[in-house]
Amino acid sequence: MLAGGQSLITIMKLRLATPNALIDINGITELSYIREENGAIAIGALTRHDQLSRDRIIQEKLPLLAEAANVIADQQVRNRGTIGGSLAHADPTADLPTACMALNASIITRSENGSRSVASSDFFRDFFTTALKQDEIIQEVRIPIPPPRSGGAYAKLAKGHNDFALVAVAVQTSLASGDVCNAISVVLGGVGSTPTHAPETEKLLMGQVIDDRLIRQASLKAAEGLTPNPDFRATTELKLKIIRTLTEKTLRTAVSRARGGN
Amino acid sequence: MLLVDFLRDKLELTGTHIGCDTGHCGACTVMLNDVTVKSCLLLAAQANNSKILTIEGVSAGGKLHPLQEAFLEHQGLQCGYCTPGMILSSLFLLKRNPAPSDDEIKKAIDGNLCRCTGYLGIVKAVKAAASRMSRGSINQ
Repeated sequence: MLAGGQSLITIMKLRLATPNALIDINGITELSYIREENGAIAIGALTRHDQLSRDRIIQEKLPLLAEAANVIADQQVRNRGTIGGSLAHADPTADLPTACMALNASIITRSENGSRSVASSDFFRDFFTTALKQDEIIQEVRIPIPPPRSGGAYAKLAKGHNDFALVAVAVQTSLASGDVCNAISVVLGGVGSTPTHAPETEKLLMGQVIDDRLIRQASLKAAEGLTPNPDFRATTELKLKIIRTLTEKTLRTAVSRARGGN
Repeated sequence: MLLVDFLRDKLELTGTHIGCDTGHCGACTVMLNDVTVKSCLLLAAQANNSKILTIEGVSAGGKLHPLQEAFLEHQGLQCGYCTPGMILSSLFLLKRNPAPSDDEIKKAIDGNLCRCTGYLGIVKAVKAAASRMSRGSINQ
């Protein structure tokens, strides 16, 4: 199944995939849309990253998603790559899977037998492996619109400007009166086989009055239980430090946005 | 067959270069329906019935495009291998943003590698072309 082709064509060139036939779905223009319906933002599977990053509704209601889309690879790739393709490819270092999980997105699939909705937390199963069945494609990504006093942010550290993430952090939070945190999602990318919640960080923040000290404390817990594989870019120890630092930075941005700032 | 091979081998439009053939270097950048793409990451068949702009189509009537002139004047090129892709990416930027900042130019050519210039001349050239092009449109 060929959507934007920015991953599939590359892996075919490397002979990591040798399909007998390709079905190009780019002609299905009905699959490219961003619209608001029933308290959610519905994004068609063929929506390009460039559209996502520049869309008014997305920038206003889901800044985390606009930010993530805007740092994918480079302009040419953003012009071509699609949200459905990125999620179906399920590269654990890619930007949109991490962002969609933090936003509690549902992935609407479609096959001959109808469609079903899969929570993003159930969708990513392993490296490059999803809950999609053989006969299914992604039709839509559906993201609940966060309530007022919500904020989201996305940050990644990569070796080059347009490289895959060494570590990425997506944060989405909502504040009740008195800055009490009543929803928090902290999701890490690039640290395991799928995007991963940082449960200890979330636990420390949930239901508490958010201040600088608590953000710092909670960020120190972000890497708890994780042992990211060392590679030529960074050792496990360095990655753990990056997770903590990047979590703190992203949390601060998200909270300040929830308070109404930037 | 990839679009870049079709352009070079079938149409003999060899201005579009193959640098890495892995989607990293951007030397093969062309416009597909007015939007930049890497022609090594697109099958030729996918471009059926589309409008393609390559470097050959950037200059009109034997006269260099203001961007090409600016690249010459500000040493935006040395070996010239990346230049066709650089020009197409810069053109895409200027169509969207006629007066970009240095940072906006750097982000716009993020997907185009140059091993010679250190990019400074390229950024200068794009800026110069931007101001020349906006003056031009005022004069018209």
